[in-house]
Amino acid sequence: MIEILSASALATVQDLGRSGALRWGVGTSGAMDPLALAAGNVLLGNDEGAAAVEVPVFPFQVRFTDDVSFALTGADCAARLDDVPLLPWWVFDARVGQVLTLGLPQAGTWRASRAYLCLAGGVDVPAVLGSRSTQLRGDFGGHEGRALRQGDQLRAATPGRSAFATGFGLLPPALALPLQIDGVPAMRVLPAAEYMHYTEASRAAFWSSDWKITAQSDRYGYRLAGAALEAAHTVEMRSHGIVPGVIQVPPGGQPIVQMRDAQPSGGYPKLGTVIEADLWRLGQAPIGSRVRFIETTWDEAVAALEQTQAWLTESRRLVELCRRQRSGRSS
Amino acid sequence: MSIDLVQQLSAWLVDTDIGLLELRGPDRQVQLRLRNDGGGAAIRQESVAAPSASARPPTSVMNSPSVGVFLHRHPMRESALAPAGTRVREGQPLGLLQVGALLLPVCAQQAGTVAGLRVAHGTVVGYGTPLIDLDPL
Repeated sequence: MIEILSASALATVQDLGRSGALRWGVGTSGAMDPLALAAGNVLLGNDEGAAAVEVPVFPFQVRFTDDVSFALTGADCAARLDDVPLLPWWVFDARVGQVLTLGLPQAGTWRASRAYLCLAGGVDVPAVLGSRSTQLRGDFGGHEGRALRQGDQLRAATPGRSAFATGFGLLPPALALPLQIDGVPAMRVLPAAEYMHYTEASRAAFWSSDWKITAQSDRYGYRLAGAALEAAHTVEMRSHGIVPGVIQVPPGGQPIVQMRDAQPSGGYPKLGTVIEADLWRLGQAPIGSRVRFIETTWDEAVAALEQTQAWLTESRRLVELCRRQRSGRSS
Repeated sequence: MSIDLVQQLSAWLVDTDIGLLELRGPDRQVQLRLRNDGGGAAIRQESVAAPSASARPPTSVMNSPSVGVFLHRHPMRESALAPAGTRVREGQPLGLLQVGALLLPVCAQQAGTVAGLRVAHGTVVGYGTPLIDLDPL
């Protein structure tokens, strides 16, 4: 078990999301950086979709109340286990009583904003509608349907001294599969139904300018700031189904990207959709930072998803080789 | 080891890119090093008595645990893990070996001070390549 020591808010239990529940009006939830969550699980030999703790606010501190293996991915938070510094994107063994501290995200070579604490076997909370993700809007899923609080205890599904080797890591996909324009993190976007309602100048500016992630950005949506997008004529729409990644444009012309806790419907016109394969890049972009958008096609979006899956498959193959070799050496 | 075997190994080695072959037994080790001195490649055999357990060497050498790319710093970080002069504890990662997406640590075998790194950041190294010198405490 781990016990939450810090009082910082907004850490939640997440897995890869509650897909298939939109038909009941239940949003997707899930990790803002699903690739980091999956990689942490790969390092532990878990199922890729095992639940972990997503940490967006620092410092964050937990005490291990059992021996357990854990992995850290996502933002490099200069983590420490008691007073020993830990490497990012790495798998470790914790002993009962040890305290894990995540500090502020480091700028380094990849500026990210969310860290993932994965436990051997995954965080053991009940699955609701097929997922262990916290559904904050509906107060269910995850740990008691809410963000973690000081004193909360979470169980690892397979606690105890690991039979498998730890003490190695993975190269983060942000460095293995980089995507930037002029040094600014970029995401590929499919034009959506109301794309052609916007003026040619606005459409061109959407692709060619930086967009700042404002302080009004969270797991529900990212409100972006930049040159206002102008519609050629006003569009009146009824509410309709939307998914994470959809870029809505309210009347002010400043776009909102729907994120993992987005509600399942909305009525604003849609300019585009950040492709599923790149949503993690946006999910990690810190408030105040800038991002760029790249126009893409359906085929390229599918190929990008296959590329991230191939990265995960290859990582799992290498990790399993490493675990087998190291376990053999120690016996 | 019989001289026939050494000659057989040497003949194979000349046709490869392998620069150093090291065989370690309980009491001795054999190094076959490819020397490229203009006129062609030659094999030299060095027989070294393995160090006795009681004699502590002044400097210990950390060798590469695998074939890979040797890194002084973690790819997410801008500073080296343990530049020369760093005091380190036993088991502390001093450098990394990148094998595809995998990162393996090159750890201090004992507490001490890093004397120096023998190979530049980003160099492809073979299994057993000496990477880091450590002065034990």
